[in-house]
Amino acid sequence: MMKPLRPALLGGILLAVLGSLCPFLWFVLTSFKSQIQVEAIPPTWWPDGSLVFYASALVEHRLLHYVRNSVIVAGGTTVVALAIATPAAYALARLRLPGKTWILGGLLGVAMFPPIIIAGPIWQILERLGGLNTHWGLVLPYVSLTLPLAVWILTTFFHELPVELEEAARIDGCTTWQALYKIMLPLAAPGLFTAAILTFIYAWNEFFFALLILTDPERQTLPVGIALFQGEFIMPWGEIAAASVVATLPLIILVLLFQRGIINGLSAGAVKG
Amino acid sequence: MAGLELRHIGKTFDRTRVLHDVSLEAGDGEFVVLLGPSGCGKSTLLRIIAGLEPQTRGSVSIGGRCVDDVSPPDRDIAMVFQHYALYPHLTVRENLAFGLKMRKEPKTVIEERIAETAALLKIDDLLDRKPRELSGGQQQRVAMGRAIVRKPKLFLFDEPLSNLDARLRASMRVELKKLHRRLGTTMVYVTHDQAEAMTLGHTIAVMNHGRIQQIGRPDQIYQEPGNPFVAGFVGNPPMNLFEGSYRLHQRELEFRAGDLTLRVPFQAQDLGGADSGTATLGIRPEDVTFDPPGSGHVAIAGTIDLIEDLGGDAVVYLIVKGQSLVARTSPVPTLRAGDSVAAHWPMDKLHLFINEHRGPLPSS
Repeated sequence: MMKPLRPALLGGILLAVLGSLCPFLWFVLTSFKSQIQVEAIPPTWWPDGSLVFYASALVEHRLLHYVRNSVIVAGGTTVVALAIATPAAYALARLRLPGKTWILGGLLGVAMFPPIIIAGPIWQILERLGGLNTHWGLVLPYVSLTLPLAVWILTTFFHELPVELEEAARIDGCTTWQALYKIMLPLAAPGLFTAAILTFIYAWNEFFFALLILTDPERQTLPVGIALFQGEFIMPWGEIAAASVVATLPLIILVLLFQRGIINGLSAGAVKG
Repeated sequence: MAGLELRHIGKTFDRTRVLHDVSLEAGDGEFVVLLGPSGCGKSTLLRIIAGLEPQTRGSVSIGGRCVDDVSPPDRDIAMVFQHYALYPHLTVRENLAFGLKMRKEPKTVIEERIAETAALLKIDDLLDRKPRELSGGQQQRVAMGRAIVRKPKLFLFDEPLSNLDARLRASMRVELKKLHRRLGTTMVYVTHDQAEAMTLGHTIAVMNHGRIQQIGRPDQIYQEPGNPFVAGFVGNPPMNLFEGSYRLHQRELEFRAGDLTLRVPFQAQDLGGADSGTATLGIRPEDVTFDPPGSGHVAIAGTIDLIEDLGGDAVVYLIVKGQSLVARTSPVPTLRAGDSVAAHWPMDKLHLFINEHRGPLPSS
């Protein structure tokens, strides 16, 4: 690398990190402020460490109830999406299927549609099926929306694993399914983690369909719940900030825990292991 | 009882025929080597034997039982792969145990077999390591171990030594030979390395373009190659082959290739009625010498182009009447590139091929 490039690169990195961290930093700071600090003009930077907003978000706004709903929906989406994506990706990676590239291209194309296009049909389908205001009614569209990405990630992963391993397993006495779950799945674990976490994050953060499908506060997920915090006369910025911190924490913990796996998963195929 | 029997195997991939009517038989306990250049279909044939690839036509029998409709797990075979294919997430012990567990062998039997195999292959101290913690040679041993531990009816090897360095390859070759003697199980071994084929095989099947070119004992393949391909493929450096035409005179065969003309005394034998036509004449480099010719030798004058001194012996590249000729001799310190020499060879060492088939041997 040429020397004069280094400061420019570092500057770029700094800008990117600060730029993306700024809003988060702001709401983390806000969540620890007091009501007076939140409304102060000019704004105060440093909070006085008050936990009032957390207490109010947790108790008055029943934050944990939304967390519970989100865990059910995001967890359910992840489990169902992976259960479908894994065999699909395995087949796409291994079998000599006619039109394989078209299937993969089609999946990618479907993932490009803006959600608003399918909002109407989904609502109608769910109404017929009785899926409005139910958790499974939200999991269903989430699964179909996250499947393309999961299938892509896993296909790349299975593709990377040597066919010889599978053949060795076959000769050692495995059926195709046994070879998949005894040999291939453990080896594809980084890919599974990556797909799982990206799916989970999508379902955890998704707002539009959640708002559309869940009108009953008893069933609403975190993003919808937080957005509907607003009272009649005031905007409870502090509570929203505190709730957002609570909503983001599990994701940060998840990502930090599985960081290595995710990076391996995303860079599969880039470098030969 | 035949260890393995292949009858008229054909294989077509997307309209490309990769195997044509391959028939082969291996006796019980025989070591058969499939030898050929890459892309000749030898690995495909092995995969068909294993059941990993269905044949388009023909049938496979293992131990006297037709296995055409039997899936790989039930063919009672073990296979050693080129890249070893050890399960990376399992320890050596678990790798060895895997096949036995899948066959629901009792725990005591599994432990006993693992101990036995590990001792045989001297991998006892590696049992608790993961494959990535092993050297290439150790991985190779474990891969062999995983095959041996199952005590199958038939072993299949797919170029198992090709990823090892030359020295390790030579020592593993010797061990493999000992191993076969000890186990006495039928083995089919795929390689493109003629040294492996010559040293390991009871029988060698030389393959090219999806066809078996010749089946025979190593010495037969070497001494009496059935066609120019086999002649050129087996031997190092390869046999000198001259493509030209022949004309039959009374007790003599006149062979011409460019400016090179050779008269070979010839016992009148049937050449399929034709007393002239195209032919290929071959002479092994090790049969070419520069010593004063003995009786029954033919000598031709040539110029030395290059000498490769290999220590024990030397490879001499000559230009003879516009054709190149390679000789392998003991080192001749007096010879230099550019020297004119007379190269000669015993007449009975010539190989004549007519219409791609081995012709009658010239008599001395």
